Amino acid sequence: MSFAMAFSKKEDESGLSSYYNNKTTIIQEARVFNESPISPRKCRALLTRIVYLLYVGETFSTQESTTLFFGTTKLFQHKDSALRQAVYLTIKELATTAEDVIMVTSSIMKDMQPNSEVIYRPNAIRALCRIIDPSMAQGVERFFKAAIVDKNPSISSAALVSAYHLFPHAKDVVKRWVNEAQEAVNAKSGGYFGSVSTGSGFFGGGSSQSGAQTVPSSSNITQYHALGLLSLVGGKSGAGTTLKNAMALCMLIRYAAKVMEEDPNVQRQMVELLEGWLRHKSDMVNFEAARVICEMKNVTAAQLTKSIAVMQLFLSSPKPVLKFAATRTLAALALSHPASVAACNVDLENLITDSNRSVATYAITTLLKTGNEASVDRLIKQITGFMSEISDEFKVIIVDAIRSLCLKFPAKHAAMLTFLSGVLRDEGGYDFKRAVVEAIFDMIKFIGECKEQALSHLCEFIEDCEFTKLSVRILHLLGIEGPKSSQPAKYIRFIYNRVVLENAPVRAAAVASMAKFGVNSTDPKLNHSIAVLLNRCLDDVDDEVRDRAALYLKVFKTQTLVEPYIKEDSVLSLAALESKLVSYVKDTTAAAQPFDVSTIPKISRAQAALESARPSTLDTIGVPAAKKTSSSPPPPTAAETQSAYAEKLAAVPAFASYGPIFNSSAKPLPLTESETEYQVTCVKHIFKEHIVFQFNVSNTLPDTVLENVTMAMQTEDAGLTQDFVLPIESLSAVTSPGIAYVSFTRDEPEDYATATFQCTLQFVSKELDPSTGEPEADGYEDEYQIEEVELSAGGDYIVPSYAAFGAEWDRLKAGPSVTETFGLGTSVESLKAACDSIIEVLNMEPLGGTEVPTSSSVHTLQLSGLVTGGGGKVLVRCRMTFSQGVGVTLELGVRAEKQDVCQLVVNAVGG
Amino acid sequence: MSSFFFSKVAEIAIVGLQASGKTSFVNVIGSGQWSEDVVPTVGFIYKKVRKGNVTLRIWDVAGQPKFRTMWERYCSGVDAIVFILDSADASPTSSLLMNSSLIFSSDSPRNLTQPALNYISCWAKRRSPVSRCSSFLGNKNDLEGHVPVKDLIRDLQLDKITDRPVSCYSCSMKSQHNLDIVLQWLAGRSH
Repeated sequence: MSFAMAFSKKEDESGLSSYYNNKTTIIQEARVFNESPISPRKCRALLTRIVYLLYVGETFSTQESTTLFFGTTKLFQHKDSALRQAVYLTIKELATTAEDVIMVTSSIMKDMQPNSEVIYRPNAIRALCRIIDPSMAQGVERFFKAAIVDKNPSISSAALVSAYHLFPHAKDVVKRWVNEAQEAVNAKSGGYFGSVSTGSGFFGGGSSQSGAQTVPSSSNITQYHALGLLSLVGGKSGAGTTLKNAMALCMLIRYAAKVMEEDPNVQRQMVELLEGWLRHKSDMVNFEAARVICEMKNVTAAQLTKSIAVMQLFLSSPKPVLKFAATRTLAALALSHPASVAACNVDLENLITDSNRSVATYAITTLLKTGNEASVDRLIKQITGFMSEISDEFKVIIVDAIRSLCLKFPAKHAAMLTFLSGVLRDEGGYDFKRAVVEAIFDMIKFIGECKEQALSHLCEFIEDCEFTKLSVRILHLLGIEGPKSSQPAKYIRFIYNRVVLENAPVRAAAVASMAKFGVNSTDPKLNHSIAVLLNRCLDDVDDEVRDRAALYLKVFKTQTLVEPYIKEDSVLSLAALESKLVSYVKDTTAAAQPFDVSTIPKISRAQAALESARPSTLDTIGVPAAKKTSSSPPPPTAAETQSAYAEKLAAVPAFASYGPIFNSSAKPLPLTESETEYQVTCVKHIFKEHIVFQFNVSNTLPDTVLENVTMAMQTEDAGLTQDFVLPIESLSAVTSPGIAYVSFTRDEPEDYATATFQCTLQFVSKELDPSTGEPEADGYEDEYQIEEVELSAGGDYIVPSYAAFGAEWDRLKAGPSVTETFGLGTSVESLKAACDSIIEVLNMEPLGGTEVPTSSSVHTLQLSGLVTGGGGKVLVRCRMTFSQGVGVTLELGVRAEKQDVCQLVVNAVGG
Repeated sequence: MSSFFFSKVAEIAIVGLQASGKTSFVNVIGSGQWSEDVVPTVGFIYKKVRKGNVTLRIWDVAGQPKFRTMWERYCSGVDAIVFILDSADASPTSSLLMNSSLIFSSDSPRNLTQPALNYISCWAKRRSPVSRCSSFLGNKNDLEGHVPVKDLIRDLQLDKITDRPVSCYSCSMKSQHNLDIVLQWLAGRSH
């Protein structure tokens, strides 16, 4: 398309041709379609112009294309084969926008007749699949079956490709053509001397379809198309040996790769097969096989040798395509196997000066990954040389490579920072600038020495930055890092300039950034200056800017506000917030009360940054984008699974009266081994007055169906009364997993009842009749013992939440508290082991890195959590000592907003 | 060569409701082949038929409801429009009373009981180009209970049309009854 656009731009320069290829002119000239007699030459020229216009991106309205379309249908009265081919091309293009294209169905079918020995039969077939109504697919089935196995490869290919496009609309019909497609894969080619012609009619001008010279196709392209259809439909090909077409082979290699990914057991055979293809006579096949081996999971260095040798040959090939393909694959491979790729370093060095900049870019990024520290300076110099000649996309690749290099060789940061600041001044789009800015952010974060230098480069950049998003991010960073630098004052000028010169979002960010300087500084003079500047911002035209300025001025005056509003180091857990909000919005009765933010667990900023982190540096660079498509969708986040549970529960009427869910287990707890015949996982849902156990049961036996599946739960602990059990009526391997529920009432909803349950799966087992697939009438009752389910403090009643421990601990001083001392005995061998088990039992958030003891004899572990169902915050301080022979002695201090909670925690540890 | 100089051409559009015998008509005059099973036309079929020194270019347009809006596109510029009616349609003759005033004058309609003819007449009046020659063929006269031609003329009030050539025949594709006259009439439209 870009080529066509460039072409049309050139065309536009001459007035005549812009008139000639003008939409309005063409629509007017479409009168020639209605002339009598028809002039095939004129009509063909006009059709060509229509198609040309569509290709350069011109759009026709529905009305216009419908008019043109019906004009072209008039041309069916002329037999000229070149004209008819042009008509089909145009119909295919107009089919998407014009109305009533179904009108030409019968006309096309007439051209498709097996007995019509006309050159445009393939064209007719290809046009038909564009205009056909899916409901009519059945009607053309006979034609297609015959055409797929037609001995003329053009017709066969056309039918196969059309079938491929029809498949999404008429799956069942196309599936029935598998045998024909299989036949097409295996068809012997050559020796066909029918009436197919490759375009002699185009130039003849007259009607010359009969007696046209035949050029038999020897490319075996039909195999490619047939293989494509087969794989789409899901048939088995098994035709590795008969394939002659290189493209078909490439496709087969890709399928082999897919099979390998799904079933690692076949990897060995597949690799042998692939290595055979490395010696195929076609470059395309060699490359495809080599690439698949390189991208294989867990590939070993030994397996790579042959493929890399093939790539190395390509590197010195005169064909740019081969060089590009090879460098691109090597660049990706260098991430995981730099040592193997290093074998090609000499050839890659030669490509740095390649006239094709894309090849050069990949060569350099590969070298950056395989090279050593000594070569970095030289490479950077070379990159700087051609940075201005490459497109933004490749600039981003290079900047990313440099970013990872900075972290790999921190000693070279000066050279790299100079390079980055240099390219920051270059022209470039948003993505490129963002990559540079993020690279500098990473340097600031990980390489302390270059911080001030990098900050001043960023300051300079925002002086003339056209991207609001980037300015805002940089200002935010300045606000965090600036006050810590030796001379905070020097950044303030840059920041205040933004307030004067920029748009509202940037001004608001600048105000926030300035305020952070004021709050964090102990210099009264600086504080005063900041206050003056903020006062000026009170007159801003934008309300957000004014609001922020006013807020910070207020905070300055009242020092007690600084802690919660500016230095606050925790944020709400977005995943938890999202799931709570979703359930709040869905529950109509909840709207009567305002949403309670205090029930949302908090996490520290560092943790939040970790969660939302972009894929970090070294892992992603230079990996071709194609890779992303093959990877599976990301696993559902905790919030997503939670809301999925909530939806399932909401669908059960028995739970409707239970009210909102306070807490659900974060992960299903497996109660069986993963390879047993029946697999059970458990999810616990805590309601205000009830507890619901959700058992996900899977039946892995394909020839058995379980009926009336229930869970028998027995406990010796008091406080819970079983309400009812919701069984799974019928569970087969296909319908697994099914869900059985057991509901309990909390006798004292205020109490946090804990219990241990013996669980037994009970069901009626019935064999499936192999002939009918129906279960037999008689089954037998059976039981299946599974592991115990525990209802405990951590995980069920308490969820981790971040808090500033010191301040909160003091605040809760007056509240309920419990302190008890335990001897953990000699079984706990170290303070670290004690910390780990306490965290696991209580399921609370360790604060300030206290989960890792620094001393081997004395340690204090600080924990914070949130009690479900509005129980408020709970803090735990575990002071521990360790001595050989005695083991760990623990003094457990609990402060919470309710006495029950304190007791719950103590019992959890003590029990 | 002489045939080249003396050859004449007529362009003809054939319309009518589905299963009235349009495609059969084209097949029969084109190749003399009549068949019980004709696949319903989707869209249109173009066919060239030579009779003597006259070439008929025939647009055989589909009659199913979804295609009726497109008849117009194939009727503009033709030398004659042929309306084919199923004269053996199950409705009794008395209910064939459709007012030809609908077709060619502005009198208000009355007794519109036969939906097929009703549709044709409405369409012919509103959409068909005024100056075109028209021919009405009451097809399937080999079947019992078909409407005789004079009833057809009366019901359509074709005798009142004076401003252009109009013809009406009762015919049968199956027995090829009267088709020679129809062809003759069509040949007369050539130029």
